Amino acid sequence: MKKQLLIILSILFLLILSTFFYLLIIERNPFELPSNLLDKNVPSFKAESLLKNENFISSKEFGNEIILVNFFATWCGPCRDEHVYIKRFSNEEGLRVIGVNYKDNSSNAVEWLENFGNPYSDVPVDRDGRIAIDWGVYGIPETFIVNSKGIIKYRHVGPITKKIYKKINLLIKEIEQ
Amino acid sequence: MINKTFIIIISICLIQFFSNNSYMVEPDEVLENKKQELRARNISKNIRCMICQNQSIDESSAPLAKDLRILIRDKVKDGKKDKEIYKFLTDRYGDFILLKPPLRLNTLALWILPFIFLAIGIFIVFSYNKKSKKI
Repeated sequence: MKKQLLIILSILFLLILSTFFYLLIIERNPFELPSNLLDKNVPSFKAESLLKNENFISSKEFGNEIILVNFFATWCGPCRDEHVYIKRFSNEEGLRVIGVNYKDNSSNAVEWLENFGNPYSDVPVDRDGRIAIDWGVYGIPETFIVNSKGIIKYRHVGPITKKIYKKINLLIKEIEQ
Repeated sequence: MINKTFIIIISICLIQFFSNNSYMVEPDEVLENKKQELRARNISKNIRCMICQNQSIDESSAPLAKDLRILIRDKVKDGKKDKEIYKFLTDRYGDFILLKPPLRLNTLALWILPFIFLAIGIFIVFSYNKKSKKI
């Protein structure tokens, strides 16, 4: 009886140990949290547009084509780093890029886009960070891919790197099919 | 000498025990209605700062924590119930935003394992005690 119990306890211990070991060796960033909005409709919002005279109304913009939504600010260093990839995305066919200007100074943002190039078809302004909260954003830059039905299919936290750029491109092709 | 060291250790323990945690709520955030403020504080204490991750938004100085504190206060002022506020936050950030994870199928191990380990520990202690008594 005692021997059996010892075996069961050892198996339990090994199971727990192997779970911890598995979590250690798999490639993951424990600080990157999965989005709760995946496979859900984009949050509806209305915001002032940085570049246009009319308001940005989400219900009019989403649901027709694949859209990449990028939360950025001029005070955010990594946003500058990923800007080159955002520009590349804007050249992709069948993909629209929207930038949400997060808690920023509008004139700085306009100047920033003039200096580094504007990849965004529209830039809603999130002055108090409420739009970001609705999207579950917790650290900019963050990038979302929304399919042509207005459903969020992917979220990336942090700057887009070459590796992430390729990953997102593949995903967009998958969504298109 | 021993007495002196003992007094120092006890003093440190007492200071730790009676000291207040530092809260980051800024004066401009505090609601005039004390009842509403208390409710907002209680909710904030249960909400994880998504940037610091081991602090509640009540203790965190991160900008997002401040935004969430203000949002919670706005919702309290609007007459929203605690449940509705928690739902609003978990809908956007998932259960991870709660410092106390709810009991669900995927958190079952988290809740049950400590009791299993406690039972195993008690069993080991008892069986060891029996053996030592026999000797």
